[in-house]
Amino acid sequence: MTVVGLVALLLAAVAAVVVGHRDDRVPPLLGVAGSGVAWLCSVVVGALHWGANAAPTVTGSGRIETGGLPITVALRVDQLSASMVVLATTVALLVQVYSVAYLRGDPRYPSYTAIVSLFTAAMVLVVSADDLFVLLVGWEVMGVCSYILISHHWELEPARAGAVKAFLMTRLGDIGLLFGFFVIGGAAGTYRISGIVEAAAAGRISGHQATIGSLLMRCGVVGKSAQFPLHSWLPDAMPGPTPISALIHAATMVAAGVFLVARLLPVFALSDVAMTTLAVIACVTMLGSALFALAADDLKRVLAWSTVSQLSYMFAALTLGGYGAGVLHLLSHGAFKALLFLAAGSVIHAVGTQRLDGMGGLRASMPVTFVTMTVGYAALAGVPPFVGFFSKDEILGVASDQAFHGAHGRGWLVLVVGLVVAGLTAAYSTRAWLMTFFGPRRGDRTGVPPPEPGWLMLGPLVALSAASTLGGVVVVWPSFLGVEREGWHLGLVLVSLAVVALGAALAVAEWTRLGHMDPAASLGRLRPVLAREASYDALVDWTVVRPGRWLAGLTRLNEIEVVDRYAAAGDIGSQWGSRLVRWAHNGNAQRYLTAVVIGAVGVAVLVGVIGTGGPS
Amino acid sequence: MPLLFPLVVSSVLFGIGVYIVLARRHAVLVLMGVELMLNAVNLNLVAFDAWWHDTLDAGQVLALFVIAIAAAEIGLGLAIVLLVFRTHQHVDIDRLRELADRDETGAVEADDDRSVVS
Repeated sequence: MTVVGLVALLLAAVAAVVVGHRDDRVPPLLGVAGSGVAWLCSVVVGALHWGANAAPTVTGSGRIETGGLPITVALRVDQLSASMVVLATTVALLVQVYSVAYLRGDPRYPSYTAIVSLFTAAMVLVVSADDLFVLLVGWEVMGVCSYILISHHWELEPARAGAVKAFLMTRLGDIGLLFGFFVIGGAAGTYRISGIVEAAAAGRISGHQATIGSLLMRCGVVGKSAQFPLHSWLPDAMPGPTPISALIHAATMVAAGVFLVARLLPVFALSDVAMTTLAVIACVTMLGSALFALAADDLKRVLAWSTVSQLSYMFAALTLGGYGAGVLHLLSHGAFKALLFLAAGSVIHAVGTQRLDGMGGLRASMPVTFVTMTVGYAALAGVPPFVGFFSKDEILGVASDQAFHGAHGRGWLVLVVGLVVAGLTAAYSTRAWLMTFFGPRRGDRTGVPPPEPGWLMLGPLVALSAASTLGGVVVVWPSFLGVEREGWHLGLVLVSLAVVALGAALAVAEWTRLGHMDPAASLGRLRPVLAREASYDALVDWTVVRPGRWLAGLTRLNEIEVVDRYAAAGDIGSQWGSRLVRWAHNGNAQRYLTAVVIGAVGVAVLVGVIGTGGPS
Repeated sequence: MPLLFPLVVSSVLFGIGVYIVLARRHAVLVLMGVELMLNAVNLNLVAFDAWWHDTLDAGQVLALFVIAIAAAEIGLGLAIVLLVFRTHQHVDIDRLRELADRDETGAVEADDDRSVVS
């Protein structure tokens, strides 16, 4: 069924490009139809593979001989794959439906819908691959698709710059990923993921190999999932169309990094070094990006930083061995972040700007968007009974178990940072929520309240807010994923709720104190630092971009001053040579003959000398 | 008679021929130099033929061929010289430079100072 879904997506992509330019109504239909078929297939896949004892299905066994370890073209669907496939195709279908209205009349719609289909197909391939290199194919296709989609409005400079940045940063990580695959494949004796997991469980991979392989693969994961130090591409990818942001942030691309760690968790778990570094990276990213989200002026940028921060939660859970917690948070984050982005798209569509200081007071004129986005923010902040509360509590539960009973020191780190960030998350969510929907309408010249968009855009919002509201049921009984819930940590729940309430209350208090103005103003001197995102881009500029430019200049100089000089020397040399030949060719037949005779005598002498073994 | 005598004679003849061909300016004299070289070769052929006691006398036969071809060659050569004289009013080889690599102006990019007849 996965294959059928993949084929449907790819056919839709090809068809949209081939026939899409003839009629404006065809590409949306094709895109929605392809994603719809894929979604139906994924539901069947889910129904077949969910459950504690469901057996995984392996499709295909074509071997590609490489001279070393063979590459197997095989798909393997188990509980994790099925869940991810359902998440990816659901979000993709909703995004396709939403885009019909959001990008109506866009001249690049056919290629847009085709790339979205291809993007979804690549994600489905990544989550269902049973071979590291099949996974890598999907992984790289996603990279290219994200580049194309981020630069959808390529006439805008930020869109081009963001796309190039995203591509370069993820590619940088992917180099490590490739070599990590080599190391792990070589250690396990196979590139099949099921084989590698078995080998790791059977102890056939030594700790040393696991450490090197995991650290290398972590580079790719960090790049794809926008963790420190490759985190800055994700917020800069925001000039892309908002449905694309929903797709990238919720179901594909960044989710692939978390998925890979979850899939290969037995390998990562063999290496304490890899797990600890990943935990530290996750905590640094979590805290930093939550602070950046607090000061960002752009609605989509706030959401982007929140994605980075939430992904760090998942990594933190996985590094503590919390497989179920990490994956459940990935699924629940997929639902509420897609909701938040699509709702933000609805707001941006109506207001015409992404800047928070151009919004405000939209509660009355956009009630459906208001309610659904409130659900999204509540889920993000971890307010019960929304889905984010349960999955975040699961992660904090794993952290506290590790902190109080586990052997790893990183449990405390994750627990403390996780609680602080929970408060920060509540604060920035509340701030963005207040600034969008409450207070006076800022930056408005027309005086007409922006209207609610049509139901093509509101439908996906309602569907996703239903998922975000009711998803808690799924998280509490996660047996479909083949894992067991650890049980409630009542004290921890109370503490995290108190922290969330404190964060939200602080934001509301500052909002009221400042007279319905941006609560971030009370950050004081910290605000410009955070708004500049701790000058990380400037740091990268000084340490990477400028030396890179300098080296490029050196290479260019070498090309012009050294390599080109050889070519020029050839030119000059042949000119002089031709002048010499021309001087000899003066029309005097006797001189030609003289040259011939001298040559003949010279050859004769040479033959005489060499033929007799030298003048001895 | 030792082989050395005819060989020395023919070498001297050949050398004189080469010198004439390379150094003289008159076309008829150059042709004569060519004849000298041919006959030096003929002398060699006959001398070696006698020295080897060749039963087929291949050297003498070849010498006869060379004489016949030399006669044809000198006829052709003199005809060319005659035509050159008719078109140029002289047969000075040094001044027959139409085949030189020229610039478009027609001047020979030559090292020597002799003027060119065109």
